[in-house]
Amino acid sequence: MAQIELKDVSKVYTLGDTVINAVEDVSLGIEKGEFISIIGHSGSGKTSLLSIIGGILSPSSGRLLFGGTDIYALDETGLAAYRADSVGYIFQFASLLPVLTAKENLLLPTIFSSQRPSNSGKKAEEYLDMVGLKDKINAYPAQLSGGQQRRIAIARALMNDPEILLADEPTGDLDEETEADVMDFLKRINSEKGITFILVTHSSELARGATRRIRMTQGRIEEIGS
Amino acid sequence: MKFSIFKVALRNLKRNAFRTAVLVFSIGLLVSILVFGSSFILSVGSSLERASARLGADILVVPVGAREYAEEMLLETKVKTFYMDKGLMDRVGQVEGVTEITYQTYLETIWGVCCDVPPAKVVAFDQDTDFIVRPWLKEALGRELKKGEAILGHTAYTDLDLLEVDSSVLFGAKFDIVGVLEETGTGLDNAIFITDANIDKIIEKGKSRLKPNQISLMFVKVKEGLDPYPIGAKIESEVVEVDVIQRSEMGESIIATLKDINRIFLITIVLASVLSMFLTWTIFTAIVNERAREVGIMRAIGAKGSHIVGMFMIEVFLLGFMGSVFGIALGNYLSLTLSEVFTLLRDMAATLTLVERIEVSLLGLAVGVGICVVGALSSIIRIKRLEPLTVLKEV
Ligand SMILES: Nc1ncnc2c1ncn2[C@@H]1O[C@H](COP(=O)(O)OP(=O)(O)O)[C@@H](O)[C@H]1O
Ligand SMILES: [Mg+2]
Repeated sequence: MAQIELKDVSKVYTLGDTVINAVEDVSLGIEKGEFISIIGHSGSGKTSLLSIIGGILSPSSGRLLFGGTDIYALDETGLAAYRADSVGYIFQFASLLPVLTAKENLLLPTIFSSQRPSNSGKKAEEYLDMVGLKDKINAYPAQLSGGQQRRIAIARALMNDPEILLADEPTGDLDEETEADVMDFLKRINSEKGITFILVTHSSELARGATRRIRMTQGRIEEIGS
Repeated sequence: MKFSIFKVALRNLKRNAFRTAVLVFSIGLLVSILVFGSSFILSVGSSLERASARLGADILVVPVGAREYAEEMLLETKVKTFYMDKGLMDRVGQVEGVTEITYQTYLETIWGVCCDVPPAKVVAFDQDTDFIVRPWLKEALGRELKKGEAILGHTAYTDLDLLEVDSSVLFGAKFDIVGVLEETGTGLDNAIFITDANIDKIIEKGKSRLKPNQISLMFVKVKEGLDPYPIGAKIESEVVEVDVIQRSEMGESIIATLKDINRIFLITIVLASVLSMFLTWTIFTAIVNERAREVGIMRAIGAKGSHIVGMFMIEVFLLGFMGSVFGIALGNYLSLTLSEVFTLLRDMAATLTLVERIEVSLLGLAVGVGICVVGALSSIIRIKRLEPLTVLKEV
């Protein structure tokens, strides 16, 4: 059985008279430890699909199974626990809390986790070190560049040792050099820790190295091989 | 401090320090009005109660029409004189159910020695039948008061500036001042007490309006277990020259005034509460709008509804708590410092016990926090319903 299974998943947005089929009839199985890239033009439904997998956007129809559990059939608490403990999500847009320092932003998801680790402070510092921001521990988001904020968001996604890591164009606002560093880092997490990694990107360059590549057009997916 | 949702809440309050201050200040003002007003009403009410209890009589008998004078004399610090014939005592004493009866005569003096002390009230009591002053005397002097001796009420001591005087002249007669009574909380605290035995001499000197065989007031005790009310009514009907004040009805005119003050105060509090609630509502509505995105992020990385609501409740409670503490401090400060401004408080020497003060303060805390919670309720419900992602668009 696949770790993640999408069964006939669709997402329809209705804005007044217009109906947008953001995700259409997607079925997909993903094994534990896979590295999957999803590429596609802007507006093709990548973020919507990733959000459905991440447990933050309920599909209009279809089911998402994680380890056999129908995630969107869970109650509020169960769904929140899935987001907190199983998923690490790197958002497309800035997502740090402005009132918290870098380190506190990393500690935030640990509050929501059911298995709050005792050494989370030390872990947060280690992770900040790993993304090259050891000296920014006490900096507030407003004092950091877009790229630095993005790296903190990546470290935050790893704090609860998720089983799947979802990254929505994670290198969007990074310069080329940092982009390569961050990609190496994410790929290493994937290979060393065996965390399933789904990367949304519009660059086929970055999609390279994925075990499977998926192209998304107008809400539909097609596998384009590795 | 370990990182927790509490810390996030604190940071949120600190983020907009001005807005926090405005809310704290407005809740504080409301609570201070509440604390001050309650203190006022409670202190007047309870000192009335204490005073009538301290007088220790079931029924007061006064000349017809002198009810109000008597209350002002006994409950407030005013000086009033009113007289009736001493012979009425026998008739009142014969009414069924009356077990003990004593009288006092009140005299008003223009102070003999010095001219700028206020007119003092002099209380002449009958040592043989007295049950009002005796327990006070016992505490302060330990013996009976002799002819030619006077003892000062608690505030007469300071009010009349008699600190260095050990003898004085009243109505042309010389008195030795032998001591000072403990505070009783009654209007007699600013009186000078002498015994009935001195009355003849005072009348003889002719410096007082008092005529022979005049008394001001009778204190009556009824047989234990009997309801004093019908006995008082009987006294009034059998002795037409007198009016009766039941202990339970003492200070009725003040209580009536107090009730009006209470109403005005209640209306003020309700209006101020509505205003504060509206302000809280407005501010929290703005806060939720402003933070919808952040809440969406928190939800998306695993926060349960309870985490979000918890965070907001901590903020709401902290705001209410800070506002209340500020208001309690201000309200108590005002009630302590402004007591001299209010005639009613000054005349009654009204104060609150520590327990009463704590009760009033707790009431203030409950109202302050309550207003905050109610004002923020709709925002809290709204924030609980916020979905993840829907807010995760570009800023
Ligand atoms: N909350 C929303 N309400 C209405 N339409 C939306 C919403 N989110 C996305 N869409 C629309 O759905 C389509 C897919 O969007 P999205 O999943 O963000 O694509 P991508 O990430 O590939 O750019 C787009 O046409 C977009 O305008
Ligand atoms: Mg997108």
